[in-house]
Amino acid sequence: MSEIGRLAIILGFACSCYAVLSIAWGLRTGMAGPLKSGRRAVWIVCGLTLLATLVLERALISRDFSYRYVAEHTSLDLPPHYAATALWAGQEGSLLLWLLILSGYGAAFLWCYRKRIDPFYDAVAMVVATVMIFFTGLLTFVCSPFRILATPPADGNGLNPLLQDPGMMIHPPILYTGYVGFIIPFAFGIAVLLLNRSGTRWIEEVRRWTLFNWMFLGFGVLLGARWAYIELGWGGYWGWDPVENASLMPWLVGTAFLHSVMIEQRRGMLKTWNVVLIVLTFELSIFGTFLTRSGVLTSVHSFAESNIGPWFLGFILISSTAATALILYRKALLESENRMDAVVSREGSFLFNNVLFVALTFATFLGTTFPVISEAVTGAKISVSAPFFNRVNVPIALALLLLTGVGPVLSWKRATASVLKRNFVIPTFVGVLALLVGIPFGLRGVYPIVCVGGAAFVLATIVMEFARGIQARKDTEPAGSPVAMIHLVQKNKRRYGGYIVHFGVVMIFIGVLGSSVFQKEAHAPLKPGESMAIGPYTLTLRGVEEKQIQNAMQTRAAVDVAQGGKRLQTMHPAKAFYSKSQQPMTEVALRPTAAEDLYLILGGVNEDGSASIQAYINPLVSFVWLGGIVMVLGTLIALSDRMRLKREEKLLG
Amino acid sequence: MNKASLRLILITFVVIGSVAYLILSGVKQTGLQYMTVTELAQLSHAPKAGGFRLDGKVAAGSVVYDQKAPRLAFRMTDGGEAIGVVYEGLMPDAFAAGLEVVVEGTYRHDEKTLHASKLVTKCPSKYEAEGLGKDRS
Repeated sequence: MSEIGRLAIILGFACSCYAVLSIAWGLRTGMAGPLKSGRRAVWIVCGLTLLATLVLERALISRDFSYRYVAEHTSLDLPPHYAATALWAGQEGSLLLWLLILSGYGAAFLWCYRKRIDPFYDAVAMVVATVMIFFTGLLTFVCSPFRILATPPADGNGLNPLLQDPGMMIHPPILYTGYVGFIIPFAFGIAVLLLNRSGTRWIEEVRRWTLFNWMFLGFGVLLGARWAYIELGWGGYWGWDPVENASLMPWLVGTAFLHSVMIEQRRGMLKTWNVVLIVLTFELSIFGTFLTRSGVLTSVHSFAESNIGPWFLGFILISSTAATALILYRKALLESENRMDAVVSREGSFLFNNVLFVALTFATFLGTTFPVISEAVTGAKISVSAPFFNRVNVPIALALLLLTGVGPVLSWKRATASVLKRNFVIPTFVGVLALLVGIPFGLRGVYPIVCVGGAAFVLATIVMEFARGIQARKDTEPAGSPVAMIHLVQKNKRRYGGYIVHFGVVMIFIGVLGSSVFQKEAHAPLKPGESMAIGPYTLTLRGVEEKQIQNAMQTRAAVDVAQGGKRLQTMHPAKAFYSKSQQPMTEVALRPTAAEDLYLILGGVNEDGSASIQAYINPLVSFVWLGGIVMVLGTLIALSDRMRLKREEKLLG
Repeated sequence: MNKASLRLILITFVVIGSVAYLILSGVKQTGLQYMTVTELAQLSHAPKAGGFRLDGKVAAGSVVYDQKAPRLAFRMTDGGEAIGVVYEGLMPDAFAAGLEVVVEGTYRHDEKTLHASKLVTKCPSKYEAEGLGKDRS
């Protein structure tokens, strides 16, 4: 069977090469035949990759330990669903997943535009196929998932216990769907430059693809944070770890692009800048994969150093150089059609949004790679960690929060004094009011104050926009407010979807503020019957028991949680010892409520029979997860606008 | 170039300048010197104040863990010299003698000890290719 998988990837490599050459030939000569044949080759790569993935999946599920990959990442006692998702537990499988999603995007792209007869779309397919060459090549020549062992072991090494978590079953595919998807905007940008195409239609298509990927990437990042929160057991969810940063960076640049692209659509400005942002987003996605897999930087995720680092660096170097050269070569195509009229305008605020997002990305990039950069520049290795990121990124993020309120309600070209007054007097008042309430309740420090005031300000602008829209609708149709609101959103999905996304962003800000500034922590060794206090809670240890679960031995504490003398529930922080590894695995006990999470860790059982209990109160964490869901909903609403545009296109013929 | 563009460029520069300041001062105040254990242990005089970050292995038989405090003390080595590390916190799951760890904290030259504020364990490579032998040719 493994030969089938190996052969499928090799054929995929050949087909990718063929697709690129054939489409290039067709574009050069203008013949339809080679174009069609090249497109078909992209479809075939997709089918072959799917076949290879199925071969590996079959081996994983049936625990065929003659496969090196299966022996490395699974074992007989591993539950079947974790065996199936061990596909992305290691490097070779992760790369195969990358290729699968990449070729899936290629096929989805061809399907979406199957009725368009335009060499432009062939050029896009050619760029996608070029990236396919890289990944099929890597999987064929450098790290094949189909290596067969000379002497298969009786049992495998087992799956890293950290990855035996439901979150890990969906986090990587969702994150990758975001990461890999930026290939399509990138390919659009390159195709425009290659064919010297003008016009704005492609930019709307790119916007939609980007929005889709951006949603997945953002959701994937949050799922990763959630996994860290539940599985890593240190009381937090974001540690500015290199791999976390790597997934955040393309999201940040993608966000910048989604804003500045509106200026291009509306005013024909910032064309070069937008292409640069698309290219950067894609390169950062590749860079993220490189960081996760290369072991260049110390991180909780760099499971092993590997040999694919130089290949990725080479790919990034070549593709970004080629893209830059192309941008310079087609400079005339990207000339701006308009000029900036005033600083206080939608364009102006979006421009700042862009500068800030790129600055945020740059600071994150610099901090992540600082040891490497400082050694190259000064000879001394300097490393920065969480305090650096908090110091640099927090003020930039807060400036962006304020812009979230300002930007959307400024008018295009030039905002007049009356517009400013109409839109900002009430929100400013609301912001100040929030501070007047918050400061007596213990709100201290510049950043928390700016965050709370800013969040209230932004919320007020969003509510006002909705209220005004609803009022306007009610003037034209006799309907109740809820119905008017639904109609309002339906009529202008992009705009109100955007406001909903912003609402989610504000929630995340509030959640991050609450859980970072107001976190409480306590630790105590407890004997059965003894209690400790944290915040309003009293924690009483009832006892500790040993228990055998599927493929692990668990030491489980029973802790009664009471508040004001009233017993709330019993929580079970635990440590598990997986039979395949000698190391223990902390299993956090969580009591989530809307206002705060109670988070318990069992440090271990001491010689005198007491159990070390570490407790955290993390206020408002639920806002982070909820905010993420709201952002996804808002994005879906904005994306559904597509239907309307399609209908209009049909009407226009 | 009109007045608005000029103003925008000016403000952009101010923003970039502030971010550059944030980054530079951030590095200065929170940057950690990244040395090998041997380099640090062989320093003849106390290093200038500031944080350190070290990579190395946990020396066999050196781990003293007081779970009740919690306080973890061990010696860290890079094959050459060794230094002491003290970490006030729970022992991370993957922590064990012989494994690679990364520590961040302040260094006391007189005690040759690093007081760690952060302790990260590199994941053991046993989940990767270990003891599986050669490929079939």
